[in-house]
Amino acid sequence: MHMADALISPVVGGAMWVATAGVAAYSIKKIQTEMDEKKVPLMGVMGAFIFASQMINFTIPGTGSSGHIGGGLILAILLGPYAGFLTMASVLTIQALFFADGGLLALGSNIFNMGFFTCFVAYPLIYKAFMGKGYSKRRIVFASVLTAMIGLQMGAFGVVLQTLFSGKTELPFGTFVLLMQPIHLAIGAVEGLVTAAVVTYIWNSRPEIIERAASGEAIGNVSIKKVVAGMVVIAMVTGAGLSWFASSNPDGLEWAMIKTAGTAELEATGTLHQQLSDLQTKTSFLPDYSFKASESEMEQVVGEGEEVWPAVSGGTSTAGLVGGGMTLALAVLMGLGVSMLKKRKNRFSA
Amino acid sequence: MSNIMDSLYNMRLLDDLARQDTVIHKLHPLVKLLATVSYLTVVVSFGRYDIGGILPLVIYPVMVFTLAELPVKPIVLRILLVSPFIIGIGILNPFFDKQIFVLGDREISRGWVTFLSILLKSGLTVTAALLLIATTGMDRLGSALRMLKIPRIFVLQLLLTYRYISVLMEEVARTLRAYSLRAPKQKGVHRSAWGSLAGQLLLRTFDRAQRIYEAMCLRGFAGEYNTGGFGKLRIGDWVYLAVWFLFFITVRFYNIPMLIGSLITGVIR
Amino acid sequence: MSHHKLEVKDLHYNYPDGHEAVKGMSFCIHHGESVGIIGANGAGKSTLLMLLMGVLFPSEGEVSVGDVHVTKKTLPMIRQRLGMVFQDPDDQLFMNTVYDDVAFGPRNYKLDENEVEKRVLQALELVGILHLKDRAPFKLSGGEKRAAAIASVLSMQPDILVMDEPTAALDPKSRRRVMDLLGSFKHTKIVTSHDIDMIYGMCDRTIVIKKGEIAADGATSEILVNAELMEACGLEVPLALQNCPVCGTQK
Repeated sequence: MHMADALISPVVGGAMWVATAGVAAYSIKKIQTEMDEKKVPLMGVMGAFIFASQMINFTIPGTGSSGHIGGGLILAILLGPYAGFLTMASVLTIQALFFADGGLLALGSNIFNMGFFTCFVAYPLIYKAFMGKGYSKRRIVFASVLTAMIGLQMGAFGVVLQTLFSGKTELPFGTFVLLMQPIHLAIGAVEGLVTAAVVTYIWNSRPEIIERAASGEAIGNVSIKKVVAGMVVIAMVTGAGLSWFASSNPDGLEWAMIKTAGTAELEATGTLHQQLSDLQTKTSFLPDYSFKASESEMEQVVGEGEEVWPAVSGGTSTAGLVGGGMTLALAVLMGLGVSMLKKRKNRFSA
Repeated sequence: MSNIMDSLYNMRLLDDLARQDTVIHKLHPLVKLLATVSYLTVVVSFGRYDIGGILPLVIYPVMVFTLAELPVKPIVLRILLVSPFIIGIGILNPFFDKQIFVLGDREISRGWVTFLSILLKSGLTVTAALLLIATTGMDRLGSALRMLKIPRIFVLQLLLTYRYISVLMEEVARTLRAYSLRAPKQKGVHRSAWGSLAGQLLLRTFDRAQRIYEAMCLRGFAGEYNTGGFGKLRIGDWVYLAVWFLFFITVRFYNIPMLIGSLITGVIR
Repeated sequence: MSHHKLEVKDLHYNYPDGHEAVKGMSFCIHHGESVGIIGANGAGKSTLLMLLMGVLFPSEGEVSVGDVHVTKKTLPMIRQRLGMVFQDPDDQLFMNTVYDDVAFGPRNYKLDENEVEKRVLQALELVGILHLKDRAPFKLSGGEKRAAAIASVLSMQPDILVMDEPTAALDPKSRRRVMDLLGSFKHTKIVTSHDIDMIYGMCDRTIVIKKGEIAADGATSEILVNAELMEACGLEVPLALQNCPVCGTQK
C-alpha cells in the first residue's frame, strides 16, 4: 500500500509531509525528554530487523499462499509508539530511496499511513487497552489481530483519500474503497496473527522485554488524549469543508476533492503565470503562430486544475507530437554528446 | 530467498555506484537532494492530461546518468519493476474515462492518456530517487539531512538501520536456508514456526542492539551523535542548483515541445 | 608507571536471574604486560571483560585503572584509557564507512575535526588499511573488518587494549596477520580466547578461569603446558606442544 510519487499531487504530498514531520518532531522530543539514549541503537537495529523480516514468507493456513509483515504493530509493541513511529519512518525512507517503493514526495503520506495510524491510534486505543488487564496468550492474539486490522484499514483509507485528493486517477471513490479496504482486511489479519505469534514467543521466553516496552514508554494519558483530540478536530474541519464542496457540486464527493486539490494548485501558480505571460508579450520574438499556440497551451496547463479538457485542434496536436519527438531526440543527443565529450577528455588525460 | 539476495545485491550495487568519483558525485550532497526534490515536485505538478509538457524533464535523468557515468542497464531494470500498485491503479483509468479525442488522425480515449501520464511520471520520479542515492550514498545523504537540521537522533537511527540491513538480511537468509533444508516441500514458513522463527531472530536482534550500544558507549557515546564538519557549498554547487532550478521553472511554465513543434510545423506550412 | 596498572580486587557479580558469574576474582596487570584469559564456555570470561570496561558494575569488590575506581562518574575517563575490541566486528563497526567508524570515538570526545582526521589516518595506517577508509563495512573481508575494529579503538589512543576473541572466525593467514599486528603494539594487552595457540604465541602471562573463579594465574610457558590443569578447566594444551601426529615425536 505504498503511495507512489506518480499518484500524488504536490499539495497533497506537501501537506502529508508537514503532518508527518510534526508527528516525528513530537516523537523525537518525547524520546529526548525520556533520556532513553539506549533506545537509539535499538531503534536502528530494529528498523533493519523489520526490513529483513519482510523477506520472510509466512504460509497462511488453508490457502496455500503466503504473506509477509509490514512491521508497524510489532515496532509499536516492542519500542512504544514514539520510537516505533520513528523506526517505521526510517524503514520507509530507505525503501523509498533504494527500492523505489513509494517515492520521496509520497514518503510523508506513506509514513503517516503506515506509521501514524498504527502507532498513535490503533496501538494505544486498542492494544494497550486490552493489555491493561494483563497478558495472556489469547488476549495477545485477539488484541494484535484487531489492532493490525484496524490500523491497516485506516492506512488503506488514507491511501484512498490521498490518491483521490491528488486527482491523478479516474477511479471513483466507491470503487477505490471497494478495491482497497477488503484486501487490507486480509493483509491486516495476517499481520496481526504473525505479530501475535512473535509477541507470544517473546513474552514466553523473555517477558521483561515486553513489559519494559509497555511500562517505559511513558505515554501519559494526557498526550494521547491530545493527539486524538487533534485528529478529531482536523477530521471535523476537513469533513465540514468537504461536505460544503459536495453540496455545491452535484457530481459527488470525489469530484469536490479533486477540485480542492486543483484550485489550491491554481492559486499558487496564477500570479506567477500572469507575470510570466506579461513578460512574454514584452519579449516576443517568435512568429505569431507558434507564440499563440504556446500561450493557449499554457492556459491549458494551468487550467488543467479545473479539469477542463484542452480543446486540442488537429493542428496543435500534430505540433505537440512533432515537438515531443524532437524533445526526446534532443535529450538523447545531449546525453550522447556529453558522454562522447567525457570519453574524449579521458582519452586525452590518460 | 532469492528475494533477499536480490535486495542485498541491489543495495550493494547502489552503494558501490555512490562511491565513484565523477563531477556529479563530487557535488555537495545537499545540492543533489534539493535538485532531486524540486525535480520531483515539478514532475508531479503537471496535470493528468499533460504529457507533452513533461517530456523535456527527461533531460535531467539523461544528464545525470551520463555525467555520473552510471551503468544504464541495472538501474533501468530496477525502474521497470515499478510498483504494481501504480499499474494496478492506472490501468483502470481507460475503463473509467472513455471519452474520445483526436490526436493527429487517430482516436484515443482520455483514459489511456492519463494512464500514460501516470506511467511516465512514475518512471521519472523513480529514476530521480534512484539517481539521488546512486550518486550520493546513504552516509553523505545523512550529513545533508543534518545540514537541514533534521534531529541527530533520527539521522543516527536511519544510518544504523541502513548499516544493519545487510547484516540482518544475511542472518534471515541463513535461518530460512536452515528451515527450508529441513522442510523441503513448504513454500513459506509453517504456522507452527511463525513465532519461534521470527521471535528468535528478534531476540538475537535485541542482543545485538545491546552489544552495539555497549560498543558505542565504550567509545564515548552519551546520547549525542557527533558528525564531522560538513563541506561548504562551492561555486560549482550553486551553479548546478541554479541551472536546474531555472530549467525546471522554464519547463513548468513553457510547453517546450509545443513551441518546437509549432515552430517546425509552422515553417513547413 | 603505576597509572597504567589495572587492578581487580575480590570481584563478584550476580546476574539478575541469580546466576553467580564471577566469584571473588583478584589480580593486577601492570604496564606493558600482555595477559591471556582462557576458560571453557560459560566460565565467566565475557562477564569479567564487561566488568573491567564498566559495562556491568560488580555486586561486590572493585576494579581500578591506575588509581581510579571504575564508577559511573569516572567512566568517560576510564573508557578513554581502556579500548575494547569486540568479538563480532559487525557489532563494533556500526557506521557506514570505515573512516566514520574510526572517527566515532574521537568525535565523541569533541576533538576538533583536524585532530580527528589526524588520529583516524594514523590508526588506519597502523593497522595497514588506510586504502580502505571510504569502504562500507559490508565490503570488507573478515580480516579487514577485524583490523578496522582495532583501528576504531586505537584512534582513542588507549593505554590498555582489551580484546575478546580477536582471532575468531579468521582464515589462517588473516589470523597470523592479526597476531603479528597485536604483537607489534606496545600497549598493555588483555586477550580472552579459545585459540590457545594464539595465547601461547602472544601472551607472557595467562589467567585460567573456571566457573567464575581464577584457577591459575602465572607465566604462560608454565600454565599452558600443565595438561592436568588444562584438562580440569575444559581446555587443552596448545597444538604446538602436542605430540606430532605425523612422525609421533614426543614434545
